[in-house]
Formats: sequence, C-alpha cells, structure tokens
Amino acid sequence: MSAQPPPPPKWVLDLNTPPTTKPKTNIADPPGYTASLTRRDRAAASKQSVRKQPTPEEMDTLKMKKAWEVAIAPAKQLPMNAIGMYMTGNTLQIFSIFMVFTLFKTPLIAALNLQKTFAPFETPGTSSRLIMVKLVYLLTNALMLGLGIWKVNAMGLLPTTRSDWLAWEAERTWSERAVPREWL
Amino acid sequence: MRVNAALALAACLAPAAAIFEDDAYHIDFHYALLGHPKHEATFFQKPYAASKASLLYTVSENGTVGAINPKDGALVWRSAPGASGNGHLRAGEEQDTVISAVDNRIAAWSASDGRIVWETNIDGAIAEDLEILEQEDGISNDNAKDAVVLVAHGINGVKRLDGKTGRVKWTFEDTSGDTPFQVSSSPTTIYYISLHSPLLGGGSKLRVTSLSPITGKKLDSYTLSSEGEVYTKENILFAGANTAAPILAWTDKAHKVLKVNIIGTKGVSSFNTPTSESIESIVLHAPRKVNSLPHFLVEYQTATGHSAEIYHVDLKKSTVSQAYKLPLLKGKGTFATSTTDANVYFTRITSEEVSVVASVSHGILGKWPIKGSSALAGAYPVHGVAEVVVKDNSASAVRSAALFSNGQWALIRNNEIAWNRPEFLSGTISAVWAQLPEEESLAHQLEEEHHQDVISAYIHRVQRHLRDLQYLPAWLQNLPNRVLGSVTGQSDSTTIEEIQHDTFGFHKLVIAATEKGRLSALDVGSQGKIVWSIDLHQFAPGSIISSPSLKAFRGFVEVKDSSLTRPLFINSTSGGQVSSQDAHDQWLPNSDQETLVTYKLSEGKLQGFLGAEPTTQPVWAFTPPPGEKIVRYTARPAKDPVASIGKVLGDRRVLYKYLNPNLVLVTTVTEAGRRASVYLLDSASGQLLHTALHSGVDVSRPIPSTFSENWFTYSLTLDSTSSTASRGYQLVVSELFESPLPDDRGPLGDSANSSTVLPKGEAAKPHVVSQSFQIPEEISHMTVTQTRQGITSRELIVTLPSSNSIVGIPRGVIDPRRPVGRDATAQEQSEGLVRYAPMILFDPKWHLNHKYEVAGIKDVITSESGLESTSLVFAYGKDIFGTRVAPSFAFDVLGKGFNKVQMLLTVAALFVGVLFVAPLVRRKQINSLWTVPQ
Repeated sequence: MSAQPPPPPKWVLDLNTPPTTKPKTNIADPPGYTASLTRRDRAAASKQSVRKQPTPEEMDTLKMKKAWEVAIAPAKQLPMNAIGMYMTGNTLQIFSIFMVFTLFKTPLIAALNLQKTFAPFETPGTSSRLIMVKLVYLLTNALMLGLGIWKVNAMGLLPTTRSDWLAWEAERTWSERAVPREWL
Repeated sequence: MRVNAALALAACLAPAAAIFEDDAYHIDFHYALLGHPKHEATFFQKPYAASKASLLYTVSENGTVGAINPKDGALVWRSAPGASGNGHLRAGEEQDTVISAVDNRIAAWSASDGRIVWETNIDGAIAEDLEILEQEDGISNDNAKDAVVLVAHGINGVKRLDGKTGRVKWTFEDTSGDTPFQVSSSPTTIYYISLHSPLLGGGSKLRVTSLSPITGKKLDSYTLSSEGEVYTKENILFAGANTAAPILAWTDKAHKVLKVNIIGTKGVSSFNTPTSESIESIVLHAPRKVNSLPHFLVEYQTATGHSAEIYHVDLKKSTVSQAYKLPLLKGKGTFATSTTDANVYFTRITSEEVSVVASVSHGILGKWPIKGSSALAGAYPVHGVAEVVVKDNSASAVRSAALFSNGQWALIRNNEIAWNRPEFLSGTISAVWAQLPEEESLAHQLEEEHHQDVISAYIHRVQRHLRDLQYLPAWLQNLPNRVLGSVTGQSDSTTIEEIQHDTFGFHKLVIAATEKGRLSALDVGSQGKIVWSIDLHQFAPGSIISSPSLKAFRGFVEVKDSSLTRPLFINSTSGGQVSSQDAHDQWLPNSDQETLVTYKLSEGKLQGFLGAEPTTQPVWAFTPPPGEKIVRYTARPAKDPVASIGKVLGDRRVLYKYLNPNLVLVTTVTEAGRRASVYLLDSASGQLLHTALHSGVDVSRPIPSTFSENWFTYSLTLDSTSSTASRGYQLVVSELFESPLPDDRGPLGDSANSSTVLPKGEAAKPHVVSQSFQIPEEISHMTVTQTRQGITSRELIVTLPSSNSIVGIPRGVIDPRRPVGRDATAQEQSEGLVRYAPMILFDPKWHLNHKYEVAGIKDVITSESGLESTSLVFAYGKDIFGTRVAPSFAFDVLGKGFNKVQMLLTVAALFVGVLFVAPLVRRKQINSLWTVPQ
C-alpha cells in the first residue's frame, strides 16, 4: 500500500510553466534584467532609430576633429617614447638600436604618407583648414625625430666632437729628419 | 680603500693575460744554452752511485757549469756563468756531487739537480787546476772525496778542500815565483807541476814538487830539462791527473818530438812524431779512472787528416812504449777515451763514422757510419767524450757527445745523431730581423703601379697577375696539404719558400751574430729553427771578428766589425755573400723633402751634423752640465707607425700627441752626487724640450730606457744608502702632448708642416705628463712591441735578470694619466684609466717566458707580424728566446680553441639536412597551390 505522493511545491510549478505575460505588479525589474520586447515594442523602437543625415558642415567639423586627433597622436606617444629611450641607456644594444630605428622610421614614413593619411578628411570644405593640421602633424613627427636625434647623440653616434674627425687629421710633416749616426 | 684599489687594478689587468696555456711551447721557443763545452771538463757521470743512467756534465767556455740529459739533449741544470771562462769541473767516482772551479769560486754541486752543496772563494787568486783525491788516506770523510785546488795569479799554491764542507784542510804556498801549471795525484803523493823560467830567457824547466796529501808539506822537488821545447803552457800536452798513468807530456814548437815523463820519476822518454805531413796539433787522450790500464793515445792533427798512436806505460819498469798506430784518415776527426772496469777504449769520431778500438790491440771492435744531419753538414768534430758498451770483445753500442766545428754540440748514438744543441748561439751579441727580398719586389711593383696613370697601371697589374699564374699549379697541388694541415693543426717544417708564402707573417727570420763570428738565421715562427749558419771568417780571411754589429736591408744584412776593413754583405735567405754594389743605402730619407741631420756622441757631448757625411762643424751640440756624464741616448725607432695622432678622452675630446720623429732621450749620471738626469732633445735643432732629475740613484746600475710614439720610459735603481723614503727600483713613464688642453693642437696650431730649426719660440715645447712606479725587480733592458699599423695597444717588454724572465707590461698599467689620490671618474674609466697605485707588481700572467728560465739576455728585439694584433719578440744573449705577443688579444686570427672540424661537420650536416628537406618543402608548396581554398 502506497501513499499518494505530495503535490509538487509551487516553485516547481512556476519553473515549469512560467507566466506568459508579465504580471502587472508594482515590483521593478531587477537590475540587469531586460524583458523581452514584444512585437509592438520592437516596431516602435525601430521607428525611433531612423537617423537624421548630418549636414556637410557638421561632417566637416567632425572630420576636422578627427584630423586634429590624428595630427596630435604622435605627440601623445612622445612622453612614453622618451621614458623608454631614457630607460634603455646609452649603450649600444639591440633594443635601443631597434627603438632608435623606429624613432627615425616612423616620422619619415609619416611625412611621406602625409596626403594618404589625411585623404579621408579631405573635402572641399576642409582642404584649406587641413593645411594647418598637416603642419602640426609634421611638427609632432619632427618632435619624434628630435627625440631620436637626442637619443643618437646621447649614444655618441653623432659626429659632433673633435674626436670624430680625428682620423681625417694628418700627422705633421717635419722638414728635418735627425737620426743617430750609427743608423746610417 | 686599499681593497678597492686592488680590485680596480685587478679589473684593469684582467684583459692583459700574455700567454694562453695552449699557446705555451707552441708559439715560443727557448734555447737553454751553456756555451761551447770545454774538452777537459766534459764527461759522462752517474749523478749518484746507484743511478742507472748517467748525465753529461760540462763547464763551458763562459764558465757555466751544467748537466745535460744524454738521451734528448735537454738541460738538467746549469749554474750562472762565471766572470771568465777559466773553468774546471771534476767528479769523483761514485760521488753525488761534481766540483767546479770557475775563477776564484770553488763550488760543489749536487750532481742530480744542481743544488749548491758548498762553495768557497779564494781571495786574491784564481783556481788554475782542480783535482779530486780518489785515494783513501785517513783524513777525508768516508763518503765525500776531497778536492785539491791549484791557485795562481796572486798567491800561488795548493789547497786541499774538504769534500763535505769545502773547508780548507791545508795550504801549500809556493813562493819560488814559478808559474803554476797543474796538480796531479797518486795514491801516496800530490804532485804540483810548475814552469820554472830561468832568468836569462829561453825555455822553461818543468818543476815537479811532491807534497804530502796528509799535511801538505813539501816532500821532494825535481826539475825536468825541457828548456828546448817548453816556452809557454801551450807546449805542454798533458799532465796526467788521477789516471793510472800519471804522465807529463810535452812537445816542441814544430811538433817534431813527443817527450813523456812518468810523474815521480826523472826519466824522459822521447818519441818522434809521424813525419809524413807537418803536424798542426797534438792532443793526448788518457783514461781518467785510477784503476784503468795505463795506456794513452796521442792524436796528431795535420792540415788534411788525422792519425793516432797508442802508448803503453809499464809502471814497474817506468818505461813508455808505443803499442800500435791508428792509420791516417783524410778529413778532421777526434778521439775520445772511455773505460769499462780496467779496460780502456778509444773512440774515433769523424764526420763520416765512429769506430772503437781497445787500448790493448789495434783490432776495430765496432764501426758505425753516421747518418748525415743537416745541422752538422760540412762540420767536423773538434772534441768529444764517449761511452762504450763492449760485449764479447766487440762494441755493441757507443754514444759520443762531440762538439762540432760549426758550434753544434751533438750526441752520436751508434750511427745516428740523437740530438744537437746549437751552443754557438750562446754568445749572440747582435741580431736583426731580416727583410726578405721578395717583399721588396712586390712593394716595388705596387709602387710602380701607383705612379702610372690608370690604364697603364691596369695593364701592368694584369701582366703581373698573368706572370703569377705560373705558381698556380704548385699552389693548387699544395692546397690539400695546407687545408689538411690547417684542420688538423699540424705545422710542418719550414723552408725559405714557406717563410715567403707565410699568410700570417709569423715566420720571420732573425739574423744573429755571435762573438765568435758566426752568423746564423733563425725562423722565429717555427720554434727557432736554424735555417742557415755560416762562419763569417770565410768571407774575411785573416781578420778575427769579435764584436760584429748587424743592420738589415731588404734581402741582405750588413756586418760591421772593428777588425773588418769594410763591411760584409750577407744574403738573408741563403747566407751567401752579396757584392757591395747591390748594397746601396736603402735607409736614407727623401732628401728633397727632408733635411737630414745626424748626431753622435763624441767627447762626452752629443753633436748634430748636417747631412750624412761626417763634417767638422756641428750644427748643434748638447753638453751636459758639469759633473754629468752621458751614459746613453735613445731615439724614437725608425719604424714607429702611429695609428691615431690624438688620444680620445672619455668626453670624446682629443688630447693631441706630440709626435716628433726627431726626439732623443739622453740619460746622464753624476757619479759623485748619485744623481741621474734625463734630457729630452729635439735632435734636429738640439733644443732641450724636457728634463727630469732623480737624486739618490745608484748610478752603477743600468738605466735602461725606451721611446715609442709619444711616450718614453726609463728605469732606475735607488741607492740603498740614500735617505730617501723609498728604496728599490723605479719605473718612470712620461707622455708628451701638444697641449695640456683637450681639443687644442698647441702653439703650432693646425699647420701641417713643422720645423724645429725655425721654432715658434719656447711655446713649441710639449706638455709632459709623468708618473713613476715602484717595481719589485731591476730591469736590465726594455723595449716596446711593434705592430704593423700601430693600432694595437703597446706592451712594454722588460728583461728581469734576477728572475731570468721577460715580462710584458701592458701600456694601460703604466699610463701616466692615471688619477692620483682619487678613484677614476666614469669618463676616465671609459678611457681605461684606473686609480694610481705606486707599486706595480709583475703579474705572473705578464711573464712571456712562463716556465722557461731565460738567462743572460742582452737585448730584446720586436717586429711586426703579418697580423695587426701580433708582435714578434726575440730575445738573445746567453740564451735564445722567441715568442709572439698580442697585447690586445689575437682579434684578427682564430684561436687554437676554434674547432675547425666541428665547423666543417656542422656545415656538412646542414647541407645534408637541406638536401632532405628541400623535396618536402617543394611538395608542400605545390600542394598549397593546387588545393582549393575551403
């Protein structure tokens, strides 16, 4: 003889058959919970997200803003590079040589690719204003190059001292030659 | 603080190791020489009674006592050379000491290792003869036999010395005024033989005085009438000492008559010498052992051959009789005596064969033809000693050590030359680096191309290369050998051709001249092999060369000597004579560009003359202050390449060197004031540039100095009696700069030309920086390494006579710019400067001679090699030593540690790997092209 099993608890029933609609309660959703949208809701949302096309002036302003960011970017790297250069010391090592090499390469490549870099921002409205931006870009790259030159100088690779030109200096020629008599 | 300084010094010295272990004995060589062995003082002897092998003992003509291993000719031990060559050496039978008498010093040496057992000095006299008393007579110690010494040249007399301690047991003084000649002993008596010269000219009588061995009292005295024959000691052939036949033999001047007296009797036997040819010299050989048969051999040398007669002595009847004759042989030869028990054997040594006869009969017991040796080519034996093994009346083995006429001391074992020692090199007094003619021809060709225009120079070069093609087949033929030799690290014997085709320039010839007038060429690169050796007298008959001086020219050397009327010119590669026309003066500078000034020391003044020809009017003269005497002067070497005209400082500024080719350093001493001064002169103008005075100097000691580039150095011995704070030896280093300020070229500025005759006032003097260091040993000679372009840092090579060594001091250690009293700053450290320490200790790593004992070095010469990193060093004097040094390490040549086999195997393995991997890669590439991308 077996007893009738007790009915399952309420939470089990709730779990197995969740309510199809959100019960109208005053309790707020827990943070992070997104209720699944109904179709109507979705339609309303899609209707709202249709964006208004920006005007060319707004576009130009935006592009100038972006161009300025590009122009200033090397200067932002400068402090980090400077610290890196300082930390590697003045000895000739493979790391410092690599870093110095990139310090020289990046500005030069940047200068060569100047038009390419700013081509996306080039519009009839911005072209005149971009000259200033390009100049600043060149200047910041020059700063980078300057850092490279400072580093090379600190490493003693720049021929700025007398000793660097010593090999081209000749021994004096003497107009007399004196020898002991027994050498003859 | 001191620890810091020591550490800094150690850090600085670390990269200055002179020799690597695997280089030692390969790059260097050493001839440990004795000098020509003396005939009567050379013998085989067991170093102690129970020894199985015997050593070869000798005293050489320069008074060096030494022992040689007869097996390989290696030196076992040797003493320092005596003041003169008057040396005697004797060994008693079954003794473990040998006793020598050199000048006034009598010493007993432990026979096996050369330690001094005792030594005695005779005051005011010289040992004329030395004998060992073999007989027991009650007053000698059991195990040490006493020595009897004849002293002369002062107080004449005979002394008996205790064999154990060297103490004088008794002295017999001879006041008669006779010339002492020799002592001889018999079991009961000691005979003292002297030359008694009558007052009225003529010959000398031989006086024999017998002494009691116990007390030294005179027992008897008689004279032998030898006036007709004996005039000097040279006329006496032999005075038998310690032999079974104590005989006295002499001959007349013409070598016609041989007179023999048995010592102790008054009878004189007279024999006529062979008359077939005129006899040039007679030598008498007798056994040395007391208990041997009383037989002796008389050797006759004629101009073309040699013969001998054997005599027997009948001691009972006191008669001497001729036993048999050995036939006359053409060519020179010599005889040696050896004994086995009582039997006496005579060994005849000629340049072709060795033969042994017994003293009793003329039958030849053994005969060995000698296999020729290149070292002994053309030479004949002068004298020798021999050991014979006789079994069943035939000689089974013989070894004889003979001095050959070319100065080689060789051991002939049966029929082969076991070893030879170049003892003639012991008296080397001058040596130069030879310049080979081939280098000259190439240099000449290049110079020719330099002067032509481009097209003709090109044609000339192509022609030269085509001409060189004729050597190609031989070169190709030789290539496998060379590659194999390079891989396995074997170096074969050298010839002149190899020296000419030497890639690294290590094989350089040194031409060395000895005081006996021999000239020889040694290859420093191949263990000092003697390439050729000649006697200079063959080119200059009638003169006696005693102090030759050499000078090298391209292809030949010039030999000058006071006895030569004009210099000899000898080909560097062959040793043949070169006619003097070829010997045009190659040194003289370009007279159109430079004015030649020569200077010399005369009458205590240094005088400069215009031009090469001696003129009467000096253009300048340097007279030292009163009381000072010029002892030496040192000029900058003629060939002194300078790589950089300035010294780069730590902050990359430049201190300009004062580079003047005409600088000369004059050293003077004041005998009375114990002062030494150095004067730096410009020898073109005679202007005094710098001076330094040192007081409290022992002026009797040498003051060596050397000059290189823009620095000079000298060494002094401080007087032990002076009251100065420091005593010992000092090394002073001075460096000359154009200006004390960096980046400044001084008063002469940037002008490329300079003349000191028209100076720019006082200001043209150099700025001198000096430092002095205390050194632990006296330096007898110093020189500086030389390299091809002077890029490699230099090393000061000093000779230390007290420790028999040669030391290379790195230039960085003796840099006069070392900071004093403070640690070096970072910039100074980057220059390699360390804090000044007043004492320089000679690091054992600096010793170039490592385990060799390089004795009696007179001079060290250095030369560039084919490699910039390496300098060749050759030291000569009593010993010969050669090595090569790399002061900044061998940066341009692979070391011995480089494994060429491994490298080749690696390359081969990689090649095989590539062969295997290549098909795989190819297949993969093709597959990747054909597969369809997903």
